[in-house]
Amino acid sequence: MTAATRPKLSLKYRDTIGFAAQGGRGYQLPVDLAVRSDGRIYVISRCGYVESSRVRVGIVDLNHNYYGHFGGKGSGDGQMDRPTAIAFDSADRLYLADERNHRITIFDGDGEFLGKWGEQGDGPGQVNGPSGLAFDSHDDVYVVDHKNNRVQKFTASGGYLSGWGEAGNGSGQFNLPWGISLDSTDHVYVADWRNDRIQKFTPDGEFVSSFGSSGHGDGELHRPADVTVDAEGFVYVADWGNQRVVVFDARGVYQLQLRGEATLSKWAEEYMAANADEFEARKSFDPYPELDVDDPHEVSARTEPYFWDPVSIEIDPEGRLYVLETNRHRFQVYEKE
Amino acid sequence: MATTAGVGTDLALFAHLLRRAGFGATRDELERYQSMGYEATVEELLLNDEPQVMPDDLIRRYQVDQSDLREQPSSSAYWVYRMVTTNRPLREKIALFWHRIFATGQSKLIQGIVLINQIEMFRKYGMGSFRDLLVELSRDPAMILWLDNQDNHNGAINENYGRELLELFSMGVGNYSEEDVKVCSRAFTGWTIANPKYMSIKMRNNTARPYGYIALQYDYDEDDHDAGEKTFLGETGNLNGEDVIDIICRHPATAGFIARHFYHHFVADEAPVPQWPYTPPKDPEAIRILVDAYFESDYSIGAMLRTMFNSDFFKSTQARFARVKSPAEVVIGALRLAGGFDEPTMEVYEAAAACTYMGQSLFIPPSVEGWQGGDEWINTGSLVQRVNYAGKVLGDTSRSGVRSILNRIKVAAEGGSLSSEQLVDGCLDQLGPLPVPETTRDALIDFARKQGEVIFTDNGSDSESENKIAAVLQLIVATREHQMA
Repeated sequence: MTAATRPKLSLKYRDTIGFAAQGGRGYQLPVDLAVRSDGRIYVISRCGYVESSRVRVGIVDLNHNYYGHFGGKGSGDGQMDRPTAIAFDSADRLYLADERNHRITIFDGDGEFLGKWGEQGDGPGQVNGPSGLAFDSHDDVYVVDHKNNRVQKFTASGGYLSGWGEAGNGSGQFNLPWGISLDSTDHVYVADWRNDRIQKFTPDGEFVSSFGSSGHGDGELHRPADVTVDAEGFVYVADWGNQRVVVFDARGVYQLQLRGEATLSKWAEEYMAANADEFEARKSFDPYPELDVDDPHEVSARTEPYFWDPVSIEIDPEGRLYVLETNRHRFQVYEKE
Repeated sequence: MATTAGVGTDLALFAHLLRRAGFGATRDELERYQSMGYEATVEELLLNDEPQVMPDDLIRRYQVDQSDLREQPSSSAYWVYRMVTTNRPLREKIALFWHRIFATGQSKLIQGIVLINQIEMFRKYGMGSFRDLLVELSRDPAMILWLDNQDNHNGAINENYGRELLELFSMGVGNYSEEDVKVCSRAFTGWTIANPKYMSIKMRNNTARPYGYIALQYDYDEDDHDAGEKTFLGETGNLNGEDVIDIICRHPATAGFIARHFYHHFVADEAPVPQWPYTPPKDPEAIRILVDAYFESDYSIGAMLRTMFNSDFFKSTQARFARVKSPAEVVIGALRLAGGFDEPTMEVYEAAAACTYMGQSLFIPPSVEGWQGGDEWINTGSLVQRVNYAGKVLGDTSRSGVRSILNRIKVAAEGGSLSSEQLVDGCLDQLGPLPVPETTRDALIDFARKQGEVIFTDNGSDSESENKIAAVLQLIVATREHQMA
């Protein structure tokens, strides 16, 4: 290993939070999370076909304390249908992107409806399937307008400021982009999902660089869903198709990857304590059985501690890393060593 | 037996082949196949290459429940995507064939992903060696839990899988003894899954907690395998499961049993399977030909299919429209003809549910015996569902496939208009070609006449005429002939 590729970063597993639940405490096919300034963690349960009416945002903290949820399926004020992303502004208002209603909805911290903006279309300021949200240091918000293959910048109240991008695989072009994040200098990172890369832009949308390439090896990506950047400039990617997290340094040099190592959450332990037969059977449970498959999706399906569809990745102000997994209805927390 | 002289290259023959080896075909597809020739078409259908289908990443991003595949509406919808969008329809048809025979139910297993994996195994092995297929079936985690082989232990056998392997999956009743069932079960002791105790409890408790289902993994537990001497169907040795499968595959009863299933599924409706020991085959010569193909090819299912599709008994006019379409054939056939899915759509759930309403809930067979098919597909309730679904899909003039049908009918219109007879004959041709009795044709013409003249303009505003054509298409799907494959 050369000096240029030597890992400068070490991450240690800390905890798992979550539990499969169609309603109430727990998550159902979650797709994004956001951390409020006081540390409370908001998680979207997108839900599937059978339980679609249970779509909601749940609130929890790092100590597994549950603070309820809000939402409900529909197109009315405060309702949601296929939510994709959430983000807080500097005043801790929560913004939610909805790819079916083609709009952004604003809530207060308790889930009370504050407002909404956005309309479907492909003109400036219109959106078609918004899939990612991120605020800059001026409280302007970047929206991944994914079916228009572009990023648009708005004021917090929805005033159109600028936009860039088009369909393609060249620099500054996109193929169904998904998540987005900003670093401390307001540079913009976009998970260019079907191009298997992360693109970095200036705040004005000038292309800076690209991280990753198609594949399954070290530093390669397959359908990255989300990206986040820490205070040191490390870039963390939810490498959704490869079922892992990949970390690059600020120059795009591969650092390390995580496959997941979930343990029972507090809610899961409480469930086991109340179900004696499952608790007893789980004593002999081998979470890492010998497998005869190598497809990452199927490996994750058979290995409970591994990430299964890691869809959202966030860094909190203390530098903790959160990795949300759709199919395991939980998120894993890591810390720097 | 009828001969096929003179019909070897006609479009109707290709349509017949594609109804059986696929889910029907559009006129563009039929013309492409016809230009290739019949035997070349059979070879293309038999190809085992990577099919073009709706990509998994798109499905999983937009319909997240089709990634963990937890509920039956999700798993069945996922399979519908494959059946509707594949360019290798025989692969899906053969998977459907084996699902009907090796019927495994999500109602017991609870999780759908292991059934999707089983279907993928059918795609991979379903046209290869029958011996390999039975080995894979015996290792299939969904089958193991479905028939309790995780409870089949050395010294304490559970006969469920051993019995069904002989009775339902290979030989049929009357060709083995009760002692053979016991010995067969002993041979499959130790063929289990990883974490059998925890997985069994989760299945029994029907719980996705704490973190969703864990897909099942096959595991061979040598310590729990009965390695002692056994005598099975007259052959003695320290037989393991694969040895038993070798003996099964060599047995003439197996060849005859599979051949009759082939005939029932691909040629003409037979008596229900439980009656086979007492009812001779409809066409014994066809069964003999298929049995010969089985042994001459070292048990190759693909070779049996090739022989069957190229045979006179398959091509004969008597074999055409001699099977009642299964619900999956009705639904998938309508969607493929009307224009399938270009991108993920909620319609896939409606299609899977339609199969259920018609009596074929994918992944929820009525029992381990699967679906019998034939006349049992039809009752007053299911017939209404079949007609309504196909009518709704093929009556939607915005769909690309329906527009293609409309355009072909328009092109055929001489002088910018169609008589009622031309309209009905054009629609029957585009939906098949579909031969109907004269009385049916007269009734259709009468209906068309009451709708009024079909006139096409030069300015492209033909919606009224298009709706009249669509109405005739919708009425044709209610005919007896359209219910048949």
